[in-house]
Amino acid sequence: MNDEPLYEVRNISKHYGSVMALENASVFVRAGEVVGLVGDNGAGKSTLVKCLSGAHAPTSGSIFLDGVERHWSSPRAALEAGIETLYQDSGLATDLSVSANVFLGREEVKPGILGKLGFLAQKVMDEKAHADLERVGIAVPSSKRSVGQLSGGQRQAVAIGRAVAWASKVIILDEPTNHLGARQAGEVLQVIRRAKDNGLGVIFISHTLPHVLQVTDRIVVLRLGRVVRDAPTSDFDAESLLGTITGLNE
Amino acid sequence: MTETAHTEVVKPRGSMLKTAFSNQQVVLLLFLALMVAFFAWRNSIFWSQSVLSNVLNDWSPIVLVAIGETFVVIAGGIDLSIGSNIAMSGVVAALAMKSMTSSGWGQDITLIAGAAIAIGSGAIVGVVNALLVIKGKLVPFVATLATLSICKGLAVVWTKGGPVGGGPEKAIPFSNPTLWAFSKPMIVVFGIVAIAGLLLHLNRFGRYTFAIGSNSFAARAAGINVNRHLAKVYIMSGALAGFAGMFFYLRLSVGSPSTGIGKELDAVAAVVIGGVVLTGGIGKIMGTALGALMLATVASGLIIIGVEANYRDVVVGALIALAGIVQGVQKLNSRAS
Repeated sequence: MNDEPLYEVRNISKHYGSVMALENASVFVRAGEVVGLVGDNGAGKSTLVKCLSGAHAPTSGSIFLDGVERHWSSPRAALEAGIETLYQDSGLATDLSVSANVFLGREEVKPGILGKLGFLAQKVMDEKAHADLERVGIAVPSSKRSVGQLSGGQRQAVAIGRAVAWASKVIILDEPTNHLGARQAGEVLQVIRRAKDNGLGVIFISHTLPHVLQVTDRIVVLRLGRVVRDAPTSDFDAESLLGTITGLNE
Repeated sequence: MTETAHTEVVKPRGSMLKTAFSNQQVVLLLFLALMVAFFAWRNSIFWSQSVLSNVLNDWSPIVLVAIGETFVVIAGGIDLSIGSNIAMSGVVAALAMKSMTSSGWGQDITLIAGAAIAIGSGAIVGVVNALLVIKGKLVPFVATLATLSICKGLAVVWTKGGPVGGGPEKAIPFSNPTLWAFSKPMIVVFGIVAIAGLLLHLNRFGRYTFAIGSNSFAARAAGINVNRHLAKVYIMSGALAGFAGMFFYLRLSVGSPSTGIGKELDAVAAVVIGGVVLTGGIGKIMGTALGALMLATVASGLIIIGVEANYRDVVVGALIALAGIVQGVQKLNSRAS
């Protein structure tokens, strides 16, 4: 693990009108590190995720990737810089096929003039999607099938597989084990470990504290829009983590 | 997730027949064949080149606007302005061609310019729709209801309510069949339908259209410029309505403020009968083309077998309801599988 932060937000705040969702929050992740982001409902996790992914611009504060300050104008800008985000529940277009989802926004086109006109290399994408998902450890029956026909666990697998397959630096996972059975959740945690071993910086947001304790190297606790604790996972047990989240430990 | 393969969704078992029936295009074709057989049985005249030509003349403007509507609806919107847009664009082109003709322009160049003006005027309505939906944050139903009313009003105001003639005399002969039952404008329409099919099903443009209608948040998160794409879709719908206005002009040699009024309902009917789902994300150009063909066939067929023409709307309504039921059953089947 490299000690330099790979991706970092410093002192960011986000206000929605008069509502303060984030106040002076600083969070970073190193390459090959899994950082858990926890907090109660309304603690500002989703807002922080949206700032990290480029979906929202923070009201104030700065964002650094590889030590260089960045301003994301759109999610696309962050994607192109190698930052992939898995959004809670809403990351897939369910009427589209698995491969169409894996390649959404990054479609491969046919060679020559047809490609210039935007005609899709569907076969190539079907095969590559299958291979990409297998590479990150996810076996989906057929990449031609529409996502709406898959089970909840399979959908989540596709969403995670897509994010891991495309991420070159950082992957942000917002509640990836939600609605999953124990075995499927275990598989998700495996995928996270593999992404870490491949040198990605992983930011893992979850309500399921056992998962957080199992897979993360460091935990950042948010409460009412502020970072109240940032410490190695070994400093916590289930009880102390819960106490920090709710504020009962103080 | 190496083991998830065990929970794989199995395709519905059953005969090929059942699979075929779960394909809306197959059901549509069967229905259409039955309808044609019925009309031809009641009156053999139905089975003739001139009737086919007539049916396709009715089909062409419907399918043009229905194709635009297909893209809009799949992207999760709706365009109600297309009928009035036909009227307005046709009228604008007719006024332009009238003045060009009176100032001595050649017929061919006048018709070409007229077509460009009709398409351009239709596209402008599309731009207004896009601005209202994207910048004005109106729901598409309200935005395009507003432009429906505006176009309808302008078409009457600019013509004082009467048809505008005085354009190139070539217009009507241009609309006569040249290749068997097909006229030149019809051949252009076939070309447009084919291109629309390629664009929707094999091209990135179509992929984004489906993605936005299926989950616009996911589309945006994947880096797609959702607003820009939606604008293109509305402008395309408007331009096709403009072209439909020109099609009517060529057929009638006048631009009338009443032409096309209410055609948005035909377009929505064709789209729904063709299997496009109004909540977005699902649909096929072939379905829309067949849906439009069904509407045109019913219109001519009922007249030919001597049923009062007004029954057309009754039959169309029944077809819409039937299509909805078929879709519902299919949805249940795919869930159950």
